Amino acid sequence: MPWYLHIALRHLFPQGKRFPFFTLMSVTGVSLGVALLIIVISVFNGFGHEIRTKIADTYGDARITNGGIIYDPDSLVNFVEAHEGVARTTPYANGVVMLLFRNQPLYPIIEGVDMRSDEELEKLASYMTLGEIDDFDDDSILLSSGFASQMGLIPGDEVDLYTPLMGLKLKQSGGDEVLLPRLLRVAGIYQTGWQRADENTIIGSLRLMQDLYDLGDGAHGIRVQFADGLDPEAEAFALTQSLGRPYYARTWMDSQSEFLSVLEFEKRMMFFLLFFIVIVSAFSITSSLLISVIRKTREIGLYRSMGATSRQVSACFCFQGLLIGVTGTILGFALGFLVLAFRTQITQAISSIMGVSSSMKEIYAFSYLPVHIVPFDLVVISTLSMLVAVLAGLIPAIRAGKLKPVEALRSE
Amino acid sequence: MSEFILEARSVQRSFESGEKHIEVLRGVDFQLKSGQSASIQGESGSGKSTLLNLLAGLDLPDGGDVLWEGQSIAGRSGDALSILRGSQIGMVFQSYYLVPELRALDNVMLGGRISGRIEKLEKRSVELLERVGLGDRMKSLPSTLSGGERQRVAIARAMISNPRILLADEPTGNLDETTGDSIMNMLQLMCREDSVALVLVTHNTTYASRMDDSWLLKQGILELS
Repeated sequence: MPWYLHIALRHLFPQGKRFPFFTLMSVTGVSLGVALLIIVISVFNGFGHEIRTKIADTYGDARITNGGIIYDPDSLVNFVEAHEGVARTTPYANGVVMLLFRNQPLYPIIEGVDMRSDEELEKLASYMTLGEIDDFDDDSILLSSGFASQMGLIPGDEVDLYTPLMGLKLKQSGGDEVLLPRLLRVAGIYQTGWQRADENTIIGSLRLMQDLYDLGDGAHGIRVQFADGLDPEAEAFALTQSLGRPYYARTWMDSQSEFLSVLEFEKRMMFFLLFFIVIVSAFSITSSLLISVIRKTREIGLYRSMGATSRQVSACFCFQGLLIGVTGTILGFALGFLVLAFRTQITQAISSIMGVSSSMKEIYAFSYLPVHIVPFDLVVISTLSMLVAVLAGLIPAIRAGKLKPVEALRSE
Repeated sequence: MSEFILEARSVQRSFESGEKHIEVLRGVDFQLKSGQSASIQGESGSGKSTLLNLLAGLDLPDGGDVLWEGQSIAGRSGDALSILRGSQIGMVFQSYYLVPELRALDNVMLGGRISGRIEKLEKRSVELLERVGLGDRMKSLPSTLSGGERQRVAIARAMISNPRILLADEPTGNLDETTGDSIMNMLQLMCREDSVALVLVTHNTTYASRMDDSWLLKQGILELS
């Protein structure tokens, strides 16, 4: 090991002494910054991952449409299912309706799901917070939690439903027909955790939608679930190519690109803000190393008298910055992962101290604090932290290297 | 090839102190042959340490020249001088200047590491510490050593790079008479055994008289006494 690295090590971790105060403070600053970055970014990733999963669950990996009505969805389903990589398909129909309850109108989006698909029903059952999936049939609907609370609806209530098509028929009849709404029973209430789906969406059967919108046996599109591990974007592109016009496969990422951009932006902003902690700790490294240069001025003069070059002296202090960065990053990783491992206990403890409910499900539809560790983020955090620590060591290092040997030896 | 291993020719050095211009050295001439010893005496503030720093290439003269083995050191960069100094010159200071975080053995080895003399470094360091009588204190930190022991470590450190010249700036200045005597005896013995030229800056006339040449620095001029 070159002598200047050896001396740098000994300055930071002297033999026969406890952890020096300056080293402890500098390393702690970097550790806290790195730990906080890992914790916050991983939790942000966790929320994003959970939300993405829920969107993919409710939307499907991709949806195939032709811009109008698909009159023979079964043959399209057969064609798509023959495509390699497709795990599951189900036809759907959707549109806007008017729902009337106690003379209070609201205009939700209704999504018709294929009741023949057991997977669809199982998935719906997993999101239900009130009611039973067995009560769901062609004459009933499921309401999103936000919508149900807005209208004050509970399972068992009955609502009147009007479609734009009814108004059109009334107009075409010249007012001879009477506009009769479709009476539907509320079979249950669901919450997916994805705000858009939970705010203003109701679910009916595909058969119901076909009646309401005069679709016959048709549908508005096919929802596609790809096999695990496949890239939805690539698979959707391949499907579009294979189907040909007018069919088009659109992934959930395309349809929610704005929302996903917001998630990504929020994460980047948090990274940017929290990185200031690392920058503040860099100032602490700079000041402690500058003090070290002043304290060891004579020592620097001694090194020069023994044949050390100014670059070697600079390297000694620069390496101390790097060592603080590496040690702080390693400890920060350990602390960050430790906190993430015990996050449930920690959130419960905080909740009990503050006297608030710790149930994440009430707010976020998650029963736990979600965490998703992205290796690339860890690489970025560690690289930047160590880089900042090295930069922090540069000013003291340059100062040390510029000291004139004779003046350094004379210093008091 | 010059007959002198260390030479100063009309060396001048002055300093500014506020508005005052102080001429410390006014054309100093000095010569030292290989394996010889010389003492430099003078009153406090006469410029002995300044001259020693100039001879070591730690400082540069305002006028005149310093030559190591007949080669002028003028015009060389600070780093080039450092590298050359590391291989040719050893230095011992009044205040020892040991690295407090390093054990005695590591302090000695540091001298070898910096000067690039790393072959059998640990073995040679151990031998040197044994020669200076510190075979049993190798793992001690400087803070646990006495003044005399610290100076012995400093001498061993200066000798580890096999220098041709040893510059000692009042090496016994911080020690009592008995310890000072023992340090001087050891220093002279080692220089003689290893054929190292010694320049001793001292106030002590007894130690000065033991050297081959005795120089006196007075009013910026160096004269043989």
